[in-house]
Amino acid sequence: MSAVLLECHDLVKVFPGVRALDGVGLRLTAGSVHALLGENGAGKSTLIKVLTGVHSPDGGTLTWCGEPVRLRSPLEAARTGIGVVHQERNLIPGFSVAENITLQKPPARRGLVDHAAMTEPAVACLTELGVDLDPARPVRELSVAQQQLVEIAKALHTESRVLLLDEPTASLSPEETDRLFGVVRRLAGRGACVVFVSHKLEEVFALCDTVTVLRDGRSVLASAPLAGHSHDDIVSLMVGRAHTAAGMRPRTVDRSAKPVLELDGVATAGGHRDISLAVRPGEIVGLYGLVGAGRSELVKAVLGLDRVTAGEVRVHGSPARIRSPRQALHEFGIGYVTENRKEEGVFLEQPIVRNITVTVWRRLARALGFVPAGEERAVAQDLVDRLGIRITGLGQHAGELSGGNQQKVSLAKWLAADTRLLVIDEPTVGVDVRTKRAFHELIWDLAHDGLPILLISSDLAEMVTLADRIVVMTGHRVRGEVDNDRDYDRMSGRIIRLIHDRDEVRS
Amino acid sequence: MTTSVSPPDTVPKERTAGHRMPFWVNQRLGLLVLVIALSVLFGVVRPAFLDQRLVLFPLLRDVATLTVVALAQMAALSVGHMNLAVGRMAAFGAMFAGIGYDKLHLPMQAGLLLCLAAGAAIGAVTGWLIARTGVSSFVVTLATDFALLGLVSLMYSALTEDAAFTTRPAGVDALRSYSLADICAGPVCGSPAVPQLAQFTVLAMLGLGFLYGGTRVGRELLLTGANPAAAELSGIPTGRRVLLAHTLSGLLAALAGFMAAAGTGTFRASIGDDFMLPSFLGAVLGGTLLTGGVVSVLGTLLGTALVGVIRKGLDLLGVGLESLNIYLGCILLLALSADRIRTVVSYRKVVRST
Ligand SMILES: Nc1ncnc2c1ncn2[C@@H]1O[C@H](COP(=O)(O)OP(=O)(O)OP(=O)(O)O)[C@@H](O)[C@H]1O
Ligand SMILES: [Mg+2]
Repeated sequence: MSAVLLECHDLVKVFPGVRALDGVGLRLTAGSVHALLGENGAGKSTLIKVLTGVHSPDGGTLTWCGEPVRLRSPLEAARTGIGVVHQERNLIPGFSVAENITLQKPPARRGLVDHAAMTEPAVACLTELGVDLDPARPVRELSVAQQQLVEIAKALHTESRVLLLDEPTASLSPEETDRLFGVVRRLAGRGACVVFVSHKLEEVFALCDTVTVLRDGRSVLASAPLAGHSHDDIVSLMVGRAHTAAGMRPRTVDRSAKPVLELDGVATAGGHRDISLAVRPGEIVGLYGLVGAGRSELVKAVLGLDRVTAGEVRVHGSPARIRSPRQALHEFGIGYVTENRKEEGVFLEQPIVRNITVTVWRRLARALGFVPAGEERAVAQDLVDRLGIRITGLGQHAGELSGGNQQKVSLAKWLAADTRLLVIDEPTVGVDVRTKRAFHELIWDLAHDGLPILLISSDLAEMVTLADRIVVMTGHRVRGEVDNDRDYDRMSGRIIRLIHDRDEVRS
Repeated sequence: MTTSVSPPDTVPKERTAGHRMPFWVNQRLGLLVLVIALSVLFGVVRPAFLDQRLVLFPLLRDVATLTVVALAQMAALSVGHMNLAVGRMAAFGAMFAGIGYDKLHLPMQAGLLLCLAAGAAIGAVTGWLIARTGVSSFVVTLATDFALLGLVSLMYSALTEDAAFTTRPAGVDALRSYSLADICAGPVCGSPAVPQLAQFTVLAMLGLGFLYGGTRVGRELLLTGANPAAAELSGIPTGRRVLLAHTLSGLLAALAGFMAAAGTGTFRASIGDDFMLPSFLGAVLGGTLLTGGVVSVLGTLLGTALVGVIRKGLDLLGVGLESLNIYLGCILLLALSADRIRTVVSYRKVVRST
């Protein structure tokens, strides 16, 4: 039996109205990859924050290599040898990639930060992850996935004995995920312990050897070997009852209907060339591509946040010049569920009720723009119930919710708005199995009732489950389109080929 | 939308909304208690403090004016901006009222309207510049402040002999010295402590209270302050909201300028010189966030009142001007820490009961 690095017993952490951790035990041994699982709001991130000194526990004990420890701050945790990648991004936007990576241990010479010496360790960490990024670029310019990779590189740089990764793969492509797994296995091989939080069970089974499952702040399975459990066992443990996957209502798309949204040879100031696609009523069109393919940027340009330099955007058949998301919403009925919820999706410091009803105030407003609070709350409560958002009250701030529930709030806003076309960007990043299923059913049902949906996702399985047609994009261009026959293996083969054909052409 | 998703099979444990902070954490209540307690304290130590005509009347007149100043700052803070030119915008507005009375012989109301229009216009220009160029409000309002400083003194020296407009139409003097005691319903008269000038403050508070508390535009202002990027993507016209916030700020600053001028009896360039610090103090003490997204109209009144009461009380106790500022600083620090302590204590309490 290998050495126990970090162990905790009966950890309790209470927030007003919620017992986020309610007696959690965890044992992390050297050389293992430990899965930490649970539904949205089960307390995974809270546990990680307690283990890294962000939150101080309200009860329970913590031992490091057999000695009781108290971690009073993240710095103390880092000194002890605990590294972490939190679920939400924590990079300094104005700093360069290298500066961010070396932030916790900046190379110093005579008390001054040595900028030249930063690049080398930063590049080393990035290469280990197989990422090609200019270390001098400011983090602000990076995409979500690239920021995620920088964040992981930053954790690698600390060379911790325990590395806690809170949903590190949420916005990574399959290739990047694979490379990350390679790194994790190497770290474990060197005697570190890596804790891995993910809602993608396939990943968990591929990577981890031990597992802890949290439910409502309690550990229902504590540091057990993963080998003894099946996929379904784990899901039932997380959900608290047997998990059944119901089939979805069949849905057919009328291919002869007039498209609601049509792009014809669109080029943008952001570098897109010759983009054509169409979304018909009741159709889910998937926009698949690897990170950096320019999918979100395309949508933002169409919504007026960047310039469309050539080609034509047509809404309901007539050419449209959309100048702002506001015009898109109020004139064309287009809603955009953003991928980056912390920066662009939710208002963290505002009550949930405002977060949800922001798009419908115009409709609710009476004379003088007065919005009746009662009706506002009714709209919000209805969506909270429909989406099963876990909150302590409508007045609670969105920032206090768990990641998955924040994601639901940002979707709820657009469902409230009754849009005629919905663009959904990475809807289930960081969403647990059951909720993901509920999200999929929701999106499916919306399309079933005739709503056209443009779905952006890096999760191929999600694409194959939902989309009717999948448009494949790389390098700001459309590489092809495949009709989805809902056979995962065949579809993934065809899509990967589309992506790689292009690579061969390039090289 | 007709679809509905069956809620997750196990409904999360019913949690009531009653877990919010208890009522006594309310910052406004704390301020109110503090204002009353200090008034009583000063009243006991120096009974003259409670003299309605000689002490309370001028005190309340100052508070009424400074509250409007702080509301002007609050309007800018609501979108996460600041207005460093509140004082100069007040002088600018008051100057137009002065010109109206002196040169155009306007009646009081018309001069007031001219003053408000001028304030709103200069606020709008500032807001437009900020929204258009994306330069921070700090820089733009600082520049406005300098520009107005020059412009206002230039105009006064060009248009007047002794750098002040002294013509006052009927009604302005009444505003200066009349209190509720001059309004009688039969034998019952109002308190001589409450100046009639306060009617403007009440109107401004009601207007802003309705705007921020009840309307779409008010909510949009707050969300613009809370997260501009998310607001834009949620379909809020953030540019127009920034413009509106600064227009409001200018309008209220001009109103405060008019009140200050009416209160002292002359329209001069130095009006508003000492407005900037109280504008931030009143708003922030009252619970308005410097970072935007949260405002409190009532809190702004109470915050301003607290500062006013402390100043007046210490003044009556014979504290000299320099030491008065030291005391004032200490008391304000105490008030802010008390607030923080209250929040932490109650947080612990709620946590324990969870
Ligand atoms: N700062 C906070 N204040 C109040 N409540 C909080 C705070 N942080 C977390 N919570 C609550 O604690 C519970 C656990 O949240 P946590 O973020 O740990 O969940 P999670 O398991 O990481 O979920 P997810 O998979 O969605 O990320 C939730 O009910 C959440 O609302
Ligand atoms: Mg989490």
